[in-house]
Amino acid sequence: MLVLYDFELSADCYKVRLLLALLGLSALIEPVDVFPGAAHRSAAFLAVNPLGQVPVLIDGDTKLGDAHAALVYLARTYDAAGRWLPIGEPPRLAEIEAWHSFAWQLSQSLSVARDVVATGRDADLAACQSEGHRLLRVLDEHLWFGERQGRDWLCPGTHPTTADVACFPDVVLCEEGGVSRQDYPAIRRWLDRIKRLPRFVVMSGVFPAGPGPAPRPDAAPAGT
Amino acid sequence: MTNLRAPAWHPVASSEDLPFRHVFHGQLLGQELAIWRADDGNVNVWENRCLHRGVRLSIGINEGAELKCQYHGWRYANRSAGCTYIPAHPADAPARRIANRTYPAVERHGLVWSAVGETPAFEDPLPDLDWLPLRPLPVDAPPEAVLGALLDARQADTPVDALPPLGATLILDGAEGRRAAFFVQPVDSARSVIRGLLEPGAGDPLGVLQRFNRILSALRDRVEAAALAAPAPVPMTPVYEPVSVELATMPDITIGRRATLRVAVAAKTDLAEGIVGFELAALAGHLPTFQPGAHIDVHLPNGLVRQYSITNGPGELLHYDIAVKREPASAGGSLALCDTVRVGDVLAISEPRNNFPLRRDATHTLLLAGGIGITPLLSMAKALHRSGLSFGLHAFARSPRHLPYNEPLAALGEGVATHFGLDPAGTERLLAELLQSPGFARHLYVCGPAPMLELTRRLAEAAGWPEEAVHFEYFRNDRVIEKGTSFTIELARSALTLGVPAGKSILEVLRDNGIEAPSSCEQGACGTCLTTVLDGIPDHQDVYLHGSERQSNRCMLTCVSRARTPRLVLDI
Repeated sequence: MLVLYDFELSADCYKVRLLLALLGLSALIEPVDVFPGAAHRSAAFLAVNPLGQVPVLIDGDTKLGDAHAALVYLARTYDAAGRWLPIGEPPRLAEIEAWHSFAWQLSQSLSVARDVVATGRDADLAACQSEGHRLLRVLDEHLWFGERQGRDWLCPGTHPTTADVACFPDVVLCEEGGVSRQDYPAIRRWLDRIKRLPRFVVMSGVFPAGPGPAPRPDAAPAGT
Repeated sequence: MTNLRAPAWHPVASSEDLPFRHVFHGQLLGQELAIWRADDGNVNVWENRCLHRGVRLSIGINEGAELKCQYHGWRYANRSAGCTYIPAHPADAPARRIANRTYPAVERHGLVWSAVGETPAFEDPLPDLDWLPLRPLPVDAPPEAVLGALLDARQADTPVDALPPLGATLILDGAEGRRAAFFVQPVDSARSVIRGLLEPGAGDPLGVLQRFNRILSALRDRVEAAALAAPAPVPMTPVYEPVSVELATMPDITIGRRATLRVAVAAKTDLAEGIVGFELAALAGHLPTFQPGAHIDVHLPNGLVRQYSITNGPGELLHYDIAVKREPASAGGSLALCDTVRVGDVLAISEPRNNFPLRRDATHTLLLAGGIGITPLLSMAKALHRSGLSFGLHAFARSPRHLPYNEPLAALGEGVATHFGLDPAGTERLLAELLQSPGFARHLYVCGPAPMLELTRRLAEAAGWPEEAVHFEYFRNDRVIEKGTSFTIELARSALTLGVPAGKSILEVLRDNGIEAPSSCEQGACGTCLTTVLDGIPDHQDVYLHGSERQSNRCMLTCVSRARTPRLVLDI
């Protein structure tokens, strides 16, 4: 039985909920009232995760208090074909790892901006937004040239990887932090492609895409 | 200094920005745009704002022929941006005047061009070459500054050809002598997009695109740094042309039976045994928005007026397709069309009217078509199919030769079934089977000959279908209309009292007295003259109203129905 300590509005938690869904998995959700309750600072939650952060994924004896660790774990444990995290291809694996780091940079800028706007968190909003735009420019350029090379996803190959799942939530929610995606058309198309993956799930603030072109035959996510 | 507001076309997107079922988020001169390509290839440039609650249409859903707002699901048609469906009012056809603001669109050289405000005729600024669109580069700097930076970045001693108002053909320094046409899209007073088109030449396109992207990115860094140092200009306020008088005023209550449109017969085809199809094309631009189930009045050369359902799918507004069954025994409407009207003729038609609207909130929609009754249901099936909604269309005909639209029906997939040559007993058995259970939130639409409609309605009622889930449209009213009574009508809104003598209809009396009430078929079948009754009991003689609508005594069709009380008070 998978258990997820989760805060509905957290982009990090959405990463894990999204991959669970794409893999056809379900988990018992333990809601943590991060805002306004600050339950992640409570003694009870600190006993679960001393870092005081969500998500926390528990699978039997395995306990992971970090979103990207949870993505790696789920992809390697529950995707028999290994398409979401292909460890047999070192260059691709390393690229995925680089995008996981990029996703962390997104959460330090876009997610913080969103927090400032939504919860009044004390941080430099303009600096976060400006850094977010810098990162989105890099991402848009990468995706635009990817399209010219027939690449739909962040990393080479016809199948999306955990890199896409790690970067998607902060990007798709960035307008809540006052960062417009108007100047990033290639990013907007990539968001549509992710939304059209079979078993994609939304969260508050994420709108579904309508039906699009049929997915490539080998792009359907592996699941149970 | 360039006058940004001068009437001009500007590029607003690349063709590549409009892939299948996507909505592009653009902006020109401070006006946000939702730009989307319909499945028929047409590019729509609309104000980025649902006129219902102002939500951006760029986050809406491109359904291929309609754009659906993400917030309350209002749908707008390809080309006209007219509203085709309001989920909160599923049983009603939206008013024709509900339409989003549109801007012109021209697709040329891999770019989409548009104009806000006053629009001059489009003139292609470039010769017809195999231009390679560069990666568009958004720049946070005033458009004039970006153009200046482009001119400064050209290779020394090379020529520049101006492309007014905000462009130039030139050779950038470091571009290995490749000439490119650059257009600066004025997004806002301090925001621009550099849209470049590269002249054809040798070399790996990807490498060339990357090289230009590097050059332009460096240029962007320079011009943005300069813009940061300068005072920020005031953002532009979008300029809104006043909406047309027609849209800004309340519609007249009296629409009459007017032929307000002219169309050309673009094609005339034998669709089936005794059935002729007419493609009625717009003389310029596109025709008005219609919804599935709508019909038009066609004014015939011999003076008759006949109603025909529009069979088009959603967003198909360049022409209306109708089908006419040749009826030698009738008054001569169908013969006039089938025998007299030729390709190239111009016909007068009414605006589309919808008294048979399609709900799109059913869990499943059952469409039952008898013979030529396929016409409104074909339009409905196309809309349901396009939106991926569950439906079953059963087309009954004497033989395959008697069924029109075989090809379009085949394109609608597994939801379509045809039934040929059934005798009355066989038809009844099949209908009984199809109508077995009303299920949950299912809706039934039926159109065909009167006996089939009567049978279907009887079977549906017996099977427990709620009356409001059964929608029907008769071709004509076969009842013998009793016209022998005389009575008085009081027109509450017009403050008039009129006598209706034997032999005249209420509608005729209204018209004799200068009141032009809406009407269409004038035989109690189409529902256009539906009027609210405030007092008195009508004598219903139509085939349009439901049983409970009749019994309510709250409405009537003025073209055939009369009064059971000496006096009727009407909301006219």
